[in-house]
Amino acid sequence: MNEEALGWVIRTRDPEFADWEAFTQWLEADFGHAAAYDALMAADADLARIVPAKPVAIAVPANDTGPRGWRPMRWIASGAVAAALVGVVSVGMMKRPDIYTVATRPGETRTVALDDGTRVEMNGGTTMRLDRHDARFAALDSGEAAFTVRHDAAHPFRVTVGDAVFEDAGTVFNIVHSGNATRIGVSEGKVIYNPGAEAIALPAGRALSEDESGLRVMDIAPDAVASWRQGRLTYANAPVTQISADIARSLGVQLTATPGAGAMHFTGTIRLDRDPARFFGQAAPLMGLSAVRQKDGWLLKEGDGPSR
Amino acid sequence: MATGLSAIFLHNRPALLRFLRARGAGDESEDLLQDMWMKLEEKDLGPVADPLPYLYRMANNLMLDRYRSATRRERREQDWAEGAGGVMADPSEDIAIDERLILTERLEEARAVLQSLGPRIELVFRRFRIEGVGQRLIAEELGVSLTTVEKDLQKAYRAMIALKQKMDTE
Repeated sequence: MNEEALGWVIRTRDPEFADWEAFTQWLEADFGHAAAYDALMAADADLARIVPAKPVAIAVPANDTGPRGWRPMRWIASGAVAAALVGVVSVGMMKRPDIYTVATRPGETRTVALDDGTRVEMNGGTTMRLDRHDARFAALDSGEAAFTVRHDAAHPFRVTVGDAVFEDAGTVFNIVHSGNATRIGVSEGKVIYNPGAEAIALPAGRALSEDESGLRVMDIAPDAVASWRQGRLTYANAPVTQISADIARSLGVQLTATPGAGAMHFTGTIRLDRDPARFFGQAAPLMGLSAVRQKDGWLLKEGDGPSR
Repeated sequence: MATGLSAIFLHNRPALLRFLRARGAGDESEDLLQDMWMKLEEKDLGPVADPLPYLYRMANNLMLDRYRSATRRERREQDWAEGAGGVMADPSEDIAIDERLILTERLEEARAVLQSLGPRIELVFRRFRIEGVGQRLIAEELGVSLTTVEKDLQKAYRAMIALKQKMDTE
């Protein structure tokens, strides 16, 4: 492959490319340059056919016209999202004695204060490992946690999630990890994703998601980050599979979605409610779905949709 | 008549002619310039942000179109020669399904190659090639240097074009 020609293919494909004079000079330098460029440009034109535009094709019903109207629901406080103080639950899976595990049951939340002044708020169904001798480390094994980090440039706070590392740069951020998928939203300061490799900087208002379909970076409203702490779940075009995992974690209910329902997307805010019947009675139609109580939990399925 | 763009065209006519010659248009360079002039005159394009790069891009696109139609004609003539004397294949459904299978296979293969390069390179390539975002913006979005984005793109392109060439010979 002609590396120089490839360089010019990439450069001239950039919408901001302006140095056509330099390009002219390169073309004039050798009679074969134009042909090499043409051949690679033709190969480039064909690439669109083999690379799908979206990482994963998600079937969205044709009548789903994006954001639905937002209807507020009553949030019954009833001490539901009561913050509990630190608890050392069990000795961690790692052999090192200074590593310990903290876990919450679905529906339970807990706040962990680390020695360095960092606060970790854990949502329900979450397991984390911490280090007794290093207050600047946390490993999120599963579930969801919001980190309010006391920034220290000399000792950055690191959260590991599977193979990925998130490093703070003065920060409030929320991480969700379930199965192979990881989502992070940053509401203050900045987080660096995998500082040793990709080194993607996520300032406030940016979110990153990583799953089997790849890595994506997007915008997020800073006050939507970790809104579960205020009894709200806020989404922009999120798949229902993701939302139902969040609901199950926050309310402590078993929740499944039919494939059709799981593939739908929702934009808006859902108020959490400790009474599952009342919660689903309002939240399901909001998402254009209906909820059915089952033996040991709830099922979300495609419904009649909200009256529009 | 002489809108801003046309005036800039006239002023830069020699440079554009030189570009088309370098691009391999040869004797047809003058004619191509004339085509460009006609297009500019018949379409009232209104103000263009960067008029000179716009004109260069227009000339470059003309050359790309020319290359594309030339190779297509070549391929058609070849197909014709190979099929001479025979009966045209019936475009039955079997073939369509076959082609669809191959396409799905290729999409999967391309996805696997992209993923093997690592998540950042994949993200950079998608932003650039599929979503049409410039390198400077991508670097800003990811908080990495422009050089990093350039290197990522080169790696991704090298792998994807190699894959494309491999598929073409299959």
